[in-house]
Amino acid sequence: MADDLQLARAASEAALATDGVYALATGRFVEIATYGAGEKVTGVVVGPDEVRVHIVVRWPLPEPIPTLAERVREKVASLGAAGRPTTVVVEDVEVVRDENL
Amino acid sequence: MRIFNRIVVILLLAGLFVLGVFVFLASIGPFLNALGAQGTDLQNLPSSLRPDGLTAGLRNYLTNTENGNVGVLDAVVLIAVALVGLILLVLELKPPTPRRVRMRQGTYLTQSAVRDEATKATEQKHEVLQSNVKVKAKRRPGAKINVTASVRAGEDTQVLQSEVRDRVQQHLDRMGIPISNLKVQIVGSDPRETKTRVK
Repeated sequence: MADDLQLARAASEAALATDGVYALATGRFVEIATYGAGEKVTGVVVGPDEVRVHIVVRWPLPEPIPTLAERVREKVASLGAAGRPTTVVVEDVEVVRDENL
Repeated sequence: MRIFNRIVVILLLAGLFVLGVFVFLASIGPFLNALGAQGTDLQNLPSSLRPDGLTAGLRNYLTNTENGNVGVLDAVVLIAVALVGLILLVLELKPPTPRRVRMRQGTYLTQSAVRDEATKATEQKHEVLQSNVKVKAKRRPGAKINVTASVRAGEDTQVLQSEVRDRVQQHLDRMGIPISNLKVQIVGSDPRETKTRVK
């Protein structure tokens, strides 16, 4: 359980450090999170079968969405998910209007 | 469809439960009668609902069916029941439609994100007063997108259809959102009934 939380934390940091990722999605109807004792990591679900990261991408995009999602997936997969497949879900596109001001 | 099948199964199970309760009450009827209480006795049931009446009726029906003495209405009902059962079986065995649009192995996009982007691209056209975008995820990569754009009556729908289609296609291509099928329909509407009256 503590390992799952640690992995979720590392996956969250890796995803947010990727250029083009605006934020991690928190979920619309159901909260997307990994829960631990007194702590939760939102935007990442570390389950027994897979590690799933939900991201919100930034517009303008540095690269097409599939490439960006694949880059996040590779980064998270390299963290060592103990054989569990990694899935990246793009939840939304956030238009950052004043980015270059 | 699974929900519909579940409802059918729940109703069947509820029926079985009710029958089970009746059988239970019937079985303890003599015991309750012996105790002086008013129990349920199988003999009190109408003759058509008594087990012997039911089995005799069923036996007669099956004998008639084997002899080929089936009425037209019975045949139609039996065929309809068989067809409904077949349809339900196929729908139950069919894998469910995925919730998310698949891009590559392990990467997905939500249907709402695709819908928002397609709506944005459609409504960039000044002639479009309102749009309705439906997105369906497929098992293979790419989404099926149906765009219905409302414009003022009298606009050239042929030209607008092609322009809206190109715009949506280009916008989604620029983002890298895979499309498996894009359909655009332009409908003439009264501006008083649309989301935007003037652009």
